[in-house]
Amino acid sequence: MSEKISAPIDVNAVMEKAACAAAVFSQLDQEHTDRIVRAVYEAGFNNRVRLAKLAVDETGVGNWRDKVLKNVVATQLVYEDIKDHKTVGIISEDKELGIVEIAQPLGPIFAVIPVTNPTSTVMFKILIALKTRNPVIIHPHSRAIKCSCEAARICYEAALAEDAPEDCIQWMEKTTREETHALMQHPKLALILATGGGSLVNAAYSSGTPALGVGAGNVPVFLERSADIPFAVEQILISKTFDNGTICASEQALVVEKPLAAKVIKEFEKRNARVLSDEEVRRVEKVAYDEERMMMSMAVVGKTAPEIAKLAGIDVPPQTTLLIAPLEGIGRAHPLSAEILAPILAFYVAEDFQNAVNLCIDLNYFGGIGHTVSLFSNDEEKIKQFASVMNAGRVVVNMPSSQGAVGGMYNTLHPSFTLGCGTGGKNITTDNITTKHLLNIQRISRRRVNRRLEHFDKALYLDESLDAKAIEKEYNRNY
Amino acid sequence: MISYIAGPEKLICRFEDRMDTVQCQAVEKEIFEKLQGVGTPIVFDLERVAYIASSFLRICLRACKEAGAERFSLIHVCPEVKKVFKIAGFDRQINIQ
Repeated sequence: MSEKISAPIDVNAVMEKAACAAAVFSQLDQEHTDRIVRAVYEAGFNNRVRLAKLAVDETGVGNWRDKVLKNVVATQLVYEDIKDHKTVGIISEDKELGIVEIAQPLGPIFAVIPVTNPTSTVMFKILIALKTRNPVIIHPHSRAIKCSCEAARICYEAALAEDAPEDCIQWMEKTTREETHALMQHPKLALILATGGGSLVNAAYSSGTPALGVGAGNVPVFLERSADIPFAVEQILISKTFDNGTICASEQALVVEKPLAAKVIKEFEKRNARVLSDEEVRRVEKVAYDEERMMMSMAVVGKTAPEIAKLAGIDVPPQTTLLIAPLEGIGRAHPLSAEILAPILAFYVAEDFQNAVNLCIDLNYFGGIGHTVSLFSNDEEKIKQFASVMNAGRVVVNMPSSQGAVGGMYNTLHPSFTLGCGTGGKNITTDNITTKHLLNIQRISRRRVNRRLEHFDKALYLDESLDAKAIEKEYNRNY
Repeated sequence: MISYIAGPEKLICRFEDRMDTVQCQAVEKEIFEKLQGVGTPIVFDLERVAYIASSFLRICLRACKEAGAERFSLIHVCPEVKKVFKIAGFDRQINIQ
């Protein structure tokens, strides 16, 4: 059985199927739901290598080994995180407060998939949707259709084998812009989970359907004076080279205080990073940044450092891991200070801690508000000082930023491929999206009278001469 | 398992237990053979039905279309099953009591 949706699309038919699936899904208990989720996780996990290779073959972005790890996170780690979540029926009972919470599904979810993490995002969204009894419609990126649809198909077959509702997963092979918008605006759609580029995320928010989106990242990483330099450099390389820098939470710019700068560069060079000359920076700018669209060029996204160097006409050894671009400023005049999902790292030297934090603020606000910032430090006060002035949902400390922000590997954040960026990124949350965001929680509330209000003479409220302090005194008398 | 009670005023089809995908596949042909040529209104009695799959929704919709909306109804529908028809939007097309 295939739930692929081929063009031209009958939007109403797609949504009617999804609504029926939502209806049937609403009857399932926790045990049956969890059986379905387990089966889907196993099927996805068992196909992690094949799907990773498919993704790289089709998109030309990243490398298959790291995409295998992404698929592992999206299946095994996500499953481990959500498997014990209560998502059906009564999920909490507080006798003292008299509140019982009941989890209800949202309804059909439209899942937008990015080109950078196609199969992993498909499987992640399917798992959290099914765990919360929501049918899902997968909308692949136009450059990742085959691998995304294959991931969806594998998950669907596994779900059906456990008697999941028909059409609990649908996937689109090809859509026009009009069909996509019609789906997003359809009255039977409950939610859009939008992970991807700005235009589709904006379309999601403008559709009138509730949406959980993401924002762009421009992650600064600050090596504060108390940082363990070799350790920090190692972690940054783990992050920055992971899948050739395609995770939106990867470090984009490195900021160090002057006394550390030379040592930091030496540690990077020991690990085959190449520091670019001014002339080389200009050459890389030309290939890495699209002046017309004012954003990173797709030509370098997910490419290795030697591939990028070659595009820029720079000769580097084949084992080069990273291109480091020393810059003097931040903004349009310095294109490499913008987000570029590739192994290119802008480099800034700051006079002191305050100057360094100010640089990080500028980077954070240059296209990365709400996303992630990174810090290496062993000074608790400095960590808190730094975090308090950043606008980022994730402040990752002493870890690789890509893996740290995604969660579940180097910290206890929920593993997720949809990272909220808060209002700065025009999102409604800064959370790593997980099951709790896909539930409508009902609350049964039992009578628990407010004792102070009950005993208070409410006629006193009508006395204008009594201010808040006087009322408060009476309100709390003998309490 | 379905039992049929044919009277002068209506044909009642009484369903039992879980109308899941497997069960629906097993009975669909039988139902529509039985309903063929029936001149009286058709009633699906769901008193003993606690769960329905998408295929049962389709059976109801087809029966409603073939009989005509004014001559088809569901009775004794429990709240859990009624909710399914409501979420699917079928309560606008099918008379549910």
